[in-house]
Amino acid sequence: MNKYTLKDILLGVLKTSVLLIFLELISSVIFPSLGLQNFKPAFNVLIVLFLAFKLETPGLAFLILTFQYIHSIFSIEGWAAGTLTGILISLSVKYVREMLNFSTAISTIVVVQIFQLAWYFLITFIISLKMGDFSSFITIFLGYLPESFFLSIISHHFFLLMDRFWYVDKKQSMGAFL
Amino acid sequence: MNTFSFDSSRWKLVCNVIVVGISLYGIATQKFTLKENTLFEKVFTEMVAPIQEGTMSVKDSIAQTFDRYIFIVNTRQENERLKNNLDKLQNEIFSLKEVKKENERLKKLLDFGKDIERRKVLAQIVARDSSSEFKVLRINKGESHGLKLLSPVITQTGLVGYVYRLSPNYADILTILDQNNRVDAIVSRTRTHGILEGRSGFTCQFKYVSRTEKLELKDEIITAGLGEIYPKGIKIGTITKIDKESFGITQKIEVTPSVDFDKLEEVVVLLDPEGSTEKPDEIMSLSVEEPNE
Repeated sequence: MNKYTLKDILLGVLKTSVLLIFLELISSVIFPSLGLQNFKPAFNVLIVLFLAFKLETPGLAFLILTFQYIHSIFSIEGWAAGTLTGILISLSVKYVREMLNFSTAISTIVVVQIFQLAWYFLITFIISLKMGDFSSFITIFLGYLPESFFLSIISHHFFLLMDRFWYVDKKQSMGAFL
Repeated sequence: MNTFSFDSSRWKLVCNVIVVGISLYGIATQKFTLKENTLFEKVFTEMVAPIQEGTMSVKDSIAQTFDRYIFIVNTRQENERLKNNLDKLQNEIFSLKEVKKENERLKKLLDFGKDIERRKVLAQIVARDSSSEFKVLRINKGESHGLKLLSPVITQTGLVGYVYRLSPNYADILTILDQNNRVDAIVSRTRTHGILEGRSGFTCQFKYVSRTEKLELKDEIITAGLGEIYPKGIKIGTITKIDKESFGITQKIEVTPSVDFDKLEEVVVLLDPEGSTEKPDEIMSLSVEEPNE
């Protein structure tokens, strides 16, 4: 079994956190400045999906919690709903892992899009449940779609970058650490 | 170097159970109407918000430089000496115009609400919520400037929202466009009461208005002043759509806010009157959840 050292983990978390903060700045400042008030891609989703797809580790839940917490500084969405959704998604990935293929851009885009739809469905459900109002469920869910297409399109290159952060090539996308 | 190797599946189960438990607790206690930051969140916000502010300034500088460049291209035919002088003067004029525009905006902001007997703090918007689902603005004034949770935020054109969460030098504003924000409002012409709720987009919904009320398009909606968050009589927007279905006891009314949230740059935060210690209770009466004491 391949193993991650503590240094690998901390470096991965640090690099990914810096990247996430940079991307959140783009979503919260740059896009609105360009007039894209309703187009704010949720880069945290892409990061959590990467972790769920490529890092089969016991500490995955805590990693998801960490990155969702950073996201909550930039959004009142908070960390809790996203963390729960991320864990549910990562559990579902476990059962279809053998079928997932990230060797080509097209396959990555398709897989990421499918899991994003699942993510947005779940998070919309949780938020609607929390607010006790399902009247806007479809509107909210559909509102996420343009952003999800954008994230899917960039996912292949984004994952290549994340592979380097998490040494996925070296570890063959499997690891064990806590 | 330390290397960890455990019974992976057992550890994973334990970690998942713990984090799911924390998340469920977080969801149960989360409030979309009010948030009191933890110390860590305050520190983190204080670290990140200046970067957001700086990014906004850089973007403005680039836009100004671009505008200047366009202008300079148009004067290319002039001779070198005149061109230099002209450029210099134009730059000064451009800067003065920007200052003048800013002054006019700020003056209007300060003039607006002269009748509102509250202390006012002028603030600039430095960022927006990174999730498109939530309509939240981040401003460059916070606790150290006297802001408190639930302080109302306005502009010269109308109501913006209230302070949702605070750090020492920054604050997040839950705008009236957000579906978690509810405002007790009345129609200026008919004095009809209702609750204004944000929707996913750039309009709001005016709810709980009886079918028998004879409202018209372009009717002005203002704050009712009930509770203690928003002062009475602040313009919110105008009615742009009325749907009376063949069933039900209320009508469906769409309101377009008078504030152009796309172009919003500065806002005014209204503070409690000097010496006031009472806590606003409008949120408690309008929201499903109650704010923290």
